Amino acid sequence: MSAPVPAVPSAAAAAAPVPAAPVLSVQDLKAYYRTRYFGVTRDVRAVDGVSFEVRAGEIYGLAGESSSGKTTLIKAIAGAIRPPLEVVGGTMTFSFLPGSPGLHRASPAEVAGIRWRHLSYIMQGSMNVLNPVRRVKHSFDDFAFRHMGLARSAFWAEVEAHLARVDLDPSVLAAYPHELSGGMRQRVTIALATLCRPEFVIADEPTTALDVLVQKTVLGMIRSVQREIGSSLLFVTHDMGVHAALTDRLAIMYAGRLAEEGRTAEIFARPRHPYTRHLVGSLPRIGDASERKSLDGTPPNLADPPPGCRFHPRCPLAMDVCRREQPAMIADGPDHRVACFAVHPQSEGHP
Amino acid sequence: MLAILRDLLRYNAEFRIGLLLVGIVVVLAALSFASPYPPLDVYVVPPDLPPSWAYPFGTTSRGQDVFWQLTVAIRNTLAFGIAVALLSRVLSLAIGLFSGYKGGWIDRVLMSINDTFIVLPLFPILVLFYFVMRDRMTWAMLALIMACLGWAYDARLIRSVAMSLKTREFTQTSIFSGMTTREILMREHLPYVMPIVFSTTMNNMNWSIGLEVTLSVLGFTDINTPTIGGMIFWANQHTAMVAGVWWWFAFPVAVVVMAFVGLFLLAVSMNEYIDPRSRLRRMGGAAG
Repeated sequence: MSAPVPAVPSAAAAAAPVPAAPVLSVQDLKAYYRTRYFGVTRDVRAVDGVSFEVRAGEIYGLAGESSSGKTTLIKAIAGAIRPPLEVVGGTMTFSFLPGSPGLHRASPAEVAGIRWRHLSYIMQGSMNVLNPVRRVKHSFDDFAFRHMGLARSAFWAEVEAHLARVDLDPSVLAAYPHELSGGMRQRVTIALATLCRPEFVIADEPTTALDVLVQKTVLGMIRSVQREIGSSLLFVTHDMGVHAALTDRLAIMYAGRLAEEGRTAEIFARPRHPYTRHLVGSLPRIGDASERKSLDGTPPNLADPPPGCRFHPRCPLAMDVCRREQPAMIADGPDHRVACFAVHPQSEGHP
Repeated sequence: MLAILRDLLRYNAEFRIGLLLVGIVVVLAALSFASPYPPLDVYVVPPDLPPSWAYPFGTTSRGQDVFWQLTVAIRNTLAFGIAVALLSRVLSLAIGLFSGYKGGWIDRVLMSINDTFIVLPLFPILVLFYFVMRDRMTWAMLALIMACLGWAYDARLIRSVAMSLKTREFTQTSIFSGMTTREILMREHLPYVMPIVFSTTMNNMNWSIGLEVTLSVLGFTDINTPTIGGMIFWANQHTAMVAGVWWWFAFPVAVVVMAFVGLFLLAVSMNEYIDPRSRLRRMGGAAG
């Protein structure tokens, strides 16, 4: 394709120890579901003070259980914000949109210019991204053609070349979605989202509906396409196994806040936060017959989160300070941050 | 599309019968263009003759050939039904899709208008229109009025589907890719609701033809355009039933009943095709 591929370092650079420039930098993001009934404003604090960076060319994982705010976070990043969701604070700075606090503040023209070309979004339940009553080619035509800036014939040539990257025959273009298998549909979706070679791709549980074998193939394909077009990927799933297999760095989210962030291998090898420890400890290992303990309790109600650290009602290490103050994300080793008073006793008084 | 028609013909008796009946009616209507007499002329043939080889459906007391008169009448009646159905489809599609997709106050405003139209008693209003407009009440005007009154039920049906479509991922992706509301409705949602629209079109035609016949039998329409109802109106005016000129009203009634039953069966079989479970059962697919 002749379209300019931005100066994104290659995959080799991302693996190098020198941190590359961030494609996305999120600072203290607060996104609430805000409802006003009879003059009473009620907030559900789905994302409450989250900061992280996604570097060029890396796969950044976001893990957390259901209702921990993962999807809200990426909706805010992608600018797919509809009431009652509101971004109430913080900034999201993209390398391709310097100086803007995020897509929620960008003009419709700016947003239209960025989506698909620079930022693309593989949605949750992306098996159903294709319109069931229209042929696959119409989905490509409707969603991607306007962003490519190519003539018809060049566009279709590019589509076919890109489909080949995910091992699909051009004949799928003439098929209806129900005529394709789940894995094929998923690959079509990935091809659709990466067609314009965006610098930044958000993937929200794209493989959750697939069985393990197909999942493995699809993950491998996501990885190879990402390497080939040199984009950064924000990969969201609750499946820790997928994170272990795919992501370079991983952030653990709990009740709307980040608990821990670090290189994926490091998180699995030496988790610091008690929640991460339980999460990693719950993964089965072959030959290990010891019983997996489940955490007591349930995630907090985000309309009325507990004071202090949001994990303290379930935390085995909970101390007095945890009930009073919010722990800050503090560096712990290279490329590693954790928000826990038990790990950083000295962080008391610096919420 | 052709394969669907073939399957329907092969597996669905209702569709076969419906197609046959509607086919006969359409052929009759097409024959009107070969009519040897101008449709409005009277005393062109000897009056009050019973059906014979020369006049297969007999002749009227006004000296018209019932057969040729009938072809013109059914053509006008069918055209009326189609016009009303098409016009009201446009209204119900536009309002249903837009209301369901937009939601919020737009939905509430449109649906309160919609509900108003649903509870309006149609027949008295149509009679009222006739008494107000009298001679200005033409065929086209009546079609327009009926279309404006006949969209409400189907708009609600389409709205319910649109509300579900709005939350699907492909709609989210369309929004994300920057498609406008008009593009999303026309290119993504319209193809989805088309089968439902096909089915409701037949029912809407039946409804409008029924009302039109009722109004013209009572003389509340433009009686100078020959329609099925108009023929029955003139037969009543000439007391055909008392005079024993049964062929004057029996044939129009038979033809319009054929059109009714045919359209109804087409709608039913179309419904059965749209519902995949009944389609499978009919084809001997699933056990249930």
